[in-house]
Amino acid sequence: MPITRRQALASAGAAALASGLAKPAIANSDPIRIGYLPALTGPSSSTGVGISRGTQLAVQELNAAGGINGRQIELIVRDTQSDPTKAVNAAAELTNQQVNVVFGPLNSGESLAVVPLLARSSTLQVHPCWVDSLTDPQKYPMCFRNAPTNQQIGGAANRYVVEVLNKKKIAVISDTTGYGTASVNAYVPMLKARGADVVYQGNVDAANPDLKPELLRMQSAGAEAIMPWSVNAGFLSRVINTRGDMAWDVPICGQTTLGSGQTKALLEKPEYWAKVYPNNFKPVCYGPGGKLPDRTTAFLDRLRSAKVDLSDTLLWWVGVGYDSPYMFAQAIKAVGTEPEKIVGYFNQMKSFPGVYGDISFTPDRHNGYPDDEVVMVEANSLKDGAFNVAPGYAA
Amino acid sequence: MVESIVLSGLAIGCIYALIGITYNVMFSASRVFSFTAGTLGMLGGVLGSLFIARMGLPVVVGFALALAGGAILGIVTEIVAVRPVLKSLDQHLYVLSTLALALIVQEFTAIEWGTDARPFPRLFDLARVNFDQQFWLPMLACVVVIVGLELLYRHTLVGHAFLAIAEDSFAARALGLPERGLRMASYALAGVIGALAGFAGGEMLLAFFGNAPMLTFYGFVPVALGGMGNNRGAVIAGLLLGLFQQAANFLVGGIFASVAVFTVFILVLLARPEGLAGASLPRRV
Repeated sequence: MPITRRQALASAGAAALASGLAKPAIANSDPIRIGYLPALTGPSSSTGVGISRGTQLAVQELNAAGGINGRQIELIVRDTQSDPTKAVNAAAELTNQQVNVVFGPLNSGESLAVVPLLARSSTLQVHPCWVDSLTDPQKYPMCFRNAPTNQQIGGAANRYVVEVLNKKKIAVISDTTGYGTASVNAYVPMLKARGADVVYQGNVDAANPDLKPELLRMQSAGAEAIMPWSVNAGFLSRVINTRGDMAWDVPICGQTTLGSGQTKALLEKPEYWAKVYPNNFKPVCYGPGGKLPDRTTAFLDRLRSAKVDLSDTLLWWVGVGYDSPYMFAQAIKAVGTEPEKIVGYFNQMKSFPGVYGDISFTPDRHNGYPDDEVVMVEANSLKDGAFNVAPGYAA
Repeated sequence: MVESIVLSGLAIGCIYALIGITYNVMFSASRVFSFTAGTLGMLGGVLGSLFIARMGLPVVVGFALALAGGAILGIVTEIVAVRPVLKSLDQHLYVLSTLALALIVQEFTAIEWGTDARPFPRLFDLARVNFDQQFWLPMLACVVVIVGLELLYRHTLVGHAFLAIAEDSFAARALGLPERGLRMASYALAGVIGALAGFAGGEMLLAFFGNAPMLTFYGFVPVALGGMGNNRGAVIAGLLLGLFQQAANFLVGGIFASVAVFTVFILVLLARPEGLAGASLPRRV
């Protein structure tokens, strides 16, 4: 019997209605796609390589445990090669692939280029970069930071010098890079607000081979502590070496690079590294008695059993890499994979228990790292990627 | 303070003077200011650190290989960046070609060596004293180069041929001198001097790719102040520059020291455009 057009339309309508009314509950088995933008090559790669060890391990563990709500995690990795242009291209590719979330980029230079791009495409993003402007709930409502800001970094250093070491006359020096000058401009008013007297403030070319004139000027101004802000190991080592050559017994407190292996390699004498206190993070530092927090000790055991190498990296890098997939997993388990729902979850998230730190967000604050977990450490105490907390905190 | 100004100032001044001589040796042979001079200095430090500190070669071997590296870059400069533009010297295309080569080498170094400064080994196992080897090595290198060039130019046939080329390349070629070969030899010699500057100053400057633009810039000042092609002028101007810069570092400090240096540089050139030791050339009409 031939089917008339009216019968066909009626059948189609009935089928559509039926499918809408009685949709079977079939579980989605597609993988959850996490876009990941580390710099695995190029000048910023030491951070990227370290963080990647943690990220890969976490994804392996989550998938081995059955994934998230039965769905495996697919980590889509694009090496940004430490190049903001390549990071932008990689981010555009990830948005085209409709990933559920992007983790990264892992350094501020790349994130400055990528964050606005991901915001325009309404892609959920979490990054661990420090430049203050890299989160803004109004401009970038789907972007979150699970690491400290530069304000927190500078604030912790200032707090240690002024309130723990009780030094009031401070010399603040940086190189002439954008980071260096911006840090000095930001941190000097913060120091003054804490009641310190900034007796020396200067920007010096990082290639300047002789910093003795600057340190003599600091000394004659009565400086009781030196705060250098630079990521240039050559510049920082010259500050430390000159202090040592002058036999000037003042503490040096500042950027994390003060405690890096590159800085250590440039020291004239190993003992010059004493009384040098770079920034670090309490949950991944040895406390009084040389013990790590229990959560971190358990994490170290997991790293050892997974044969993750810590000899050439820092524990906090591996920690923030490890925490991030678990943070996504917690959110997706609770509210599913829709980006808006995850944003809503993150906006209410309180104290996600990470190895690197307890992360909390609010609708108005997308900087998740707590102030009091940013601390100073003893540069010459590096062991298994972690440092001793600087003296004075325990008191 | 005075001791520190003199020691550091003379040492860094000797490095600037050697880079200035590197410019001059290349200029004399080709009438080209090759901006690879500072890159040669940077490479001397990086290669020295690579061969001695990283590969563990004896100091003498590392020293010879670093200078050989400088000579090779000098020859490459002549072939790649200078020779193709010699026919149109008046268009100053060499500025672009030598700068481009310098940037290529600098970026290649950054990629392969890294962007962090790395340690340069102590060449002699001596205790650190005020007049340390990091200060006297650049001074010694400068003296050796000055004496060596004087002996070469005044007492050897090759040296006379270099001078002939520098004086008038057309006449020298008409006399049967192998101009191209001598020019390449001059560039190789300049490469050795530039690499020696970076090697001798390695402990002060460290093995750092970022030294290239700094040396290119500050190494040019002695040439401009001392008179183009004038090695004695470059040495005197280099030493004065080092001392003045260091004094400015002590007196005003930070970025203001650079401002002071270049203010004086501009004032000197306004007063004597031919440089402190240069003679003004008569212009043909």
